Amino acid sequence: MSSLAEYAWLVPVFPAAAFAVLTAMGRGAGRGGAWIGTLASLASLVLSLMLAGQRLSGTAVEYSNHFDWIRAGGFTLSLGYEVTNLTVLMLVVVSLVSFLVNLYSHGYMKDDERISTFFAYVALFSSSMLGLVLSYNLLTMYIFWELVGVCSFLLVGFYFRKPEAKAAAKKAFIVTRIGDIGLLIAILLLFWYMPNHSLDFTEIHNVFGTQTGVISMGITTLIALLIFLGAVGKSGQFPLHVWLPDAMEGPTPISALIHAATMVAAGVFLVTRTFDIFEASQAAMTTVAVIGAFTAIFAATIGLAQNDIKRILAYSTVSQLGYMMLALGVGSETGAMFHLFTHAFFKALLFLGAGSVIHAVHTQDIREMGGLGRKMKITAGTFGIGALALSGIPPFAGFWSKDAVLAAALEANPIYFIVGVIAAFFTALYMARLFFLVFAGSPRGASHAHESPAVMTVPLLVLAVLAVIAGFVQTPFSEWFGEWLFPGAEEEHASVLVIVVSIVAGLLGIYLGWLIYAKGSVRRDVVSSRMPGLVRLLERKYYVDELYDLVFVRPLGGLGKLLNVIDDYVVDGAVRVVGQSASAIGRLNTRLQSGQLQTYALTALIGLVILALAIAGRRFW
Amino acid sequence: MIEDIPVLSLILLSPLVGLLIVLLLPGQRSNWLRTAAVVFTLIPLALSLWLFASFQPGAGGAAYAEHYTWLSIPLNKEMVNGGSMNLNFDYSLSVDGISLPLLLLTAIVSTMAALASVHIRKRWKLFYVLFLLLETGMYGVFLARDLIEFFIFFELTLIPMFFLIGIWGYYGREKAATRFLVYNGLGSAAMLLAFLILIATAGFTAVQQDTGFQIDFSGSYDVLLKNLADPASYANNASAEMADLGLYLSDSLKWTAFVLLLVAFGVKIPIFPFHTWMLRVHTEAPPSIVMIHSGVLLKMGVYGLIRFGAFLLPAQLESWSTAIAILGVINILYGAVLACVQKEFKLVLAYSSISHMGIVLLGIASLNEAGLEGALYQSVSHGLISALLFLIVGSLYERTNTTQLDELGGLAKSVPFLSGILLTAGLASLGLPGLSGFVGEFLSFLGLFGSMKWITAIGVFGILFAAVYVLRSVLNITYGPLKEPFAGIKDARFIEAVPMVALTALIVLLGVYPSVLTDVMQHGFGGLLEQISQRTGG
Repeated sequence: MSSLAEYAWLVPVFPAAAFAVLTAMGRGAGRGGAWIGTLASLASLVLSLMLAGQRLSGTAVEYSNHFDWIRAGGFTLSLGYEVTNLTVLMLVVVSLVSFLVNLYSHGYMKDDERISTFFAYVALFSSSMLGLVLSYNLLTMYIFWELVGVCSFLLVGFYFRKPEAKAAAKKAFIVTRIGDIGLLIAILLLFWYMPNHSLDFTEIHNVFGTQTGVISMGITTLIALLIFLGAVGKSGQFPLHVWLPDAMEGPTPISALIHAATMVAAGVFLVTRTFDIFEASQAAMTTVAVIGAFTAIFAATIGLAQNDIKRILAYSTVSQLGYMMLALGVGSETGAMFHLFTHAFFKALLFLGAGSVIHAVHTQDIREMGGLGRKMKITAGTFGIGALALSGIPPFAGFWSKDAVLAAALEANPIYFIVGVIAAFFTALYMARLFFLVFAGSPRGASHAHESPAVMTVPLLVLAVLAVIAGFVQTPFSEWFGEWLFPGAEEEHASVLVIVVSIVAGLLGIYLGWLIYAKGSVRRDVVSSRMPGLVRLLERKYYVDELYDLVFVRPLGGLGKLLNVIDDYVVDGAVRVVGQSASAIGRLNTRLQSGQLQTYALTALIGLVILALAIAGRRFW
Repeated sequence: MIEDIPVLSLILLSPLVGLLIVLLLPGQRSNWLRTAAVVFTLIPLALSLWLFASFQPGAGGAAYAEHYTWLSIPLNKEMVNGGSMNLNFDYSLSVDGISLPLLLLTAIVSTMAALASVHIRKRWKLFYVLFLLLETGMYGVFLARDLIEFFIFFELTLIPMFFLIGIWGYYGREKAATRFLVYNGLGSAAMLLAFLILIATAGFTAVQQDTGFQIDFSGSYDVLLKNLADPASYANNASAEMADLGLYLSDSLKWTAFVLLLVAFGVKIPIFPFHTWMLRVHTEAPPSIVMIHSGVLLKMGVYGLIRFGAFLLPAQLESWSTAIAILGVINILYGAVLACVQKEFKLVLAYSSISHMGIVLLGIASLNEAGLEGALYQSVSHGLISALLFLIVGSLYERTNTTQLDELGGLAKSVPFLSGILLTAGLASLGLPGLSGFVGEFLSFLGLFGSMKWITAIGVFGILFAAVYVLRSVLNITYGPLKEPFAGIKDARFIEAVPMVALTALIVLLGVYPSVLTDVMQHGFGGLLEQISQRTGG
């Protein structure tokens, strides 16, 4: 039977072709060009769904194919793709969100003169992300990993005239590149330590999963931590999270696509793909769990004090990715992938909803919004569903996946569980604050707001449906998702305790938010009046940016300037001395060129003697 | 059929024919002169492409080699047993997997630079005469298989460069030209001394005849390669004669020759602290000449170090490999950190070149297949990328009259095409996968990591700084609010766009499909790697 999987490489090729066509057409492509990108993403989606259908029917075997990229006598570097349940799941998620964002952008971006450039970038991004997901070895993944990063850079800096967008784009690229260095060194290590220089995920699985001892513990831990550094950069984990909130300078559909649903998930996906290396090292696992848990609560607290609707959602993304890392750190691949799966839908929904709001009121400051619920019923309703899913309220998707994470955390270490629950409470609180300030009450700013066109609301409705139902693939009563994805992996069952505690935390957060921001029975400055320092600390995001500026940016800039002076005066100065002595010899020569033959003869003789002495002296070298 | 045509000589001589034709054209017709120059850079380009396309790694080097003895001078030396001694000067051309990519690079960059010379505003005839002379010199360097011949061609590139910088450069052109000559002159002196040592001690063939040994000295690379690879046989062959003459290549003499070669080619690459001359050339020479300078001339240093340092003296290279790797890391980080703080875009690019050439040194120091291929790949890639960058600099300067970063800004609004190409070139320079820069970097790091993990790991940090200086400078030029004076400037003309698109396409091709080059290179390094593995194995 000819397998559809042989054609899986076409999934990233469709949008890549769209990018090529749109780039060749230039700005002349206009809005017609936008449809080229959308059609390509639809083609990717259809093929991904067909692949998923074949895998779900259970008839398909895992398929992988590769070709030699660089051949040399002693080794071959190859690129290739691999179709497994995990890759197919990611293909569907990425191509679905990508298609919906494409559709939505027809409305959101319709007045932008560079609309075809926008769709070209989106197509290149989709292509890179789909390629990343399909990769069969680390080299292929690294290539697409970097391409995804550059697309993110291009899209964050899309409004290139804004100085903030320029700064944010630069920051996004450079900060994630710190992580990329880790990943690159990890690849170098694997190349030299793995048998046959293999970088295949299958080989990695074999070597680290079954033949423990082939690679020493120290090296294993080192490789795992370096890979994790890459993931920390891409997935916005502490301490490399600083780029992600700034990346909100990009157009809002991009925030939904890249900085919520897909690209940032690449780090989690990378760790999942190389999970055997992590499982082989307890130190690496603990690091992942601690960083994940810390990021979850750290970002959630910052989210409480932000006023920009997109930044609140950005910190919530950082926090939710922390949950996924926590799940991985405590050994639950299923929990991580499940939360990634549901989060992709409800976070894309929230960002697109925020885009719809911004489109209507032309501001991102939630203090200038209010009362939009009556004017934008679809946006408000779907946003509410997304917020409930994020807050972990049953039966919405986020509840099931967050419970899976928390159950695994409780089993590993109660502290992780407690941190996770507190972060969940904060999550519910900041989402309640956001929702009530934007949609409830009376308008505080623009009053002419109206609902967005259908091309924008339809994607919202589709995502809202998914945010409701996506969680049912893996419940404590039916663990189909985990068994399909990772056959044989043991998973913790969410106990009644976990379910009750997490529901209570979510409801408490919402109730408190309602009391403060909707009912008004608790004064808003209840905290800020008593602890202004704490609020300021949160508003300034714990001063991490300022710290980096002080510790890295300024010293390196100073070093550069110092070296510049040294290069000018010391290194080049030495040359000037040589140069001056050369011209002094030149002047001497001019004096010698008096026209007298005897002088010439003498000079030639002296030269000859020096030469002869040099040759004679050679014996003693 | 290509075997029957002296392609190598045709490549070498066609710019000289062009030179004669340019001389015959009227000096005021800049279009005629430029057209003639472009045509005569296209001919060697077409020939090199043909050579590249029909190159068969398995077939051996003989198909693409030409060898004539030019003149033979008898040396009046009393010989034991009445033998005789000659000194031969050879005209010997050849290509292999190492020189062919660089030959093609030279042809491509020369053509693009000839097209880009549209910005030259005075003394066109002399300009193109020198340009074509320079081109011949570069072909000669990559084709020559005789040390004396190599030296002559190497020097032949210096003189036209000196005038091209000194006459058509910017404000500080004369100082830059002098600096260029002083430095490269010192390098050449070191090279000549090293070559003389090698020729005098190992550059001979001895043939037993009735009257005794007939000994032919020459700069022949093949003879040197054979003799140095197998010192026992060449010493035994004529041991009596040689001992009598005191001609014996001791280890310390080999060491001296290697250090001299390292200095000679280190100035050219350039290796810290011999780099300051090239900063001046980058900022003061006209952009089309910098395309050649940065694109090709620096690679002559790399080529020399590989061809003579690695192949003739692999043991010395091996003992120096840690030092070369450390020098490489210094180049990478020093260049990158300094590139981050420059205010002049051309200086950013100059320091970035230093940084990128550091990666080449890492590849050479690795002494394995991945690293050596990486070094060569990086050279070709950097040649294309820096040629493209200076092509853009030329077009930008014509419009803005400045390349100071703080005077530029927001150009993506008024010149979207130029800005797009600049961003692509920048991304290639910072090593984005899918563009050529990544392959060379990755292979070099991969190669060196096998033997020197810590040094490589430190060097890898260069890619972080590369991101900083590339984005800082490129975004300063193209992003942000459009500066007032540049609101009305026009985007690239067709004649400017053609070489930009061509170079971009090549950078993408090499980034996506590296085998097109590595399959050829692989053949070139075979013999060297065998030598090295024999020594380490035995």
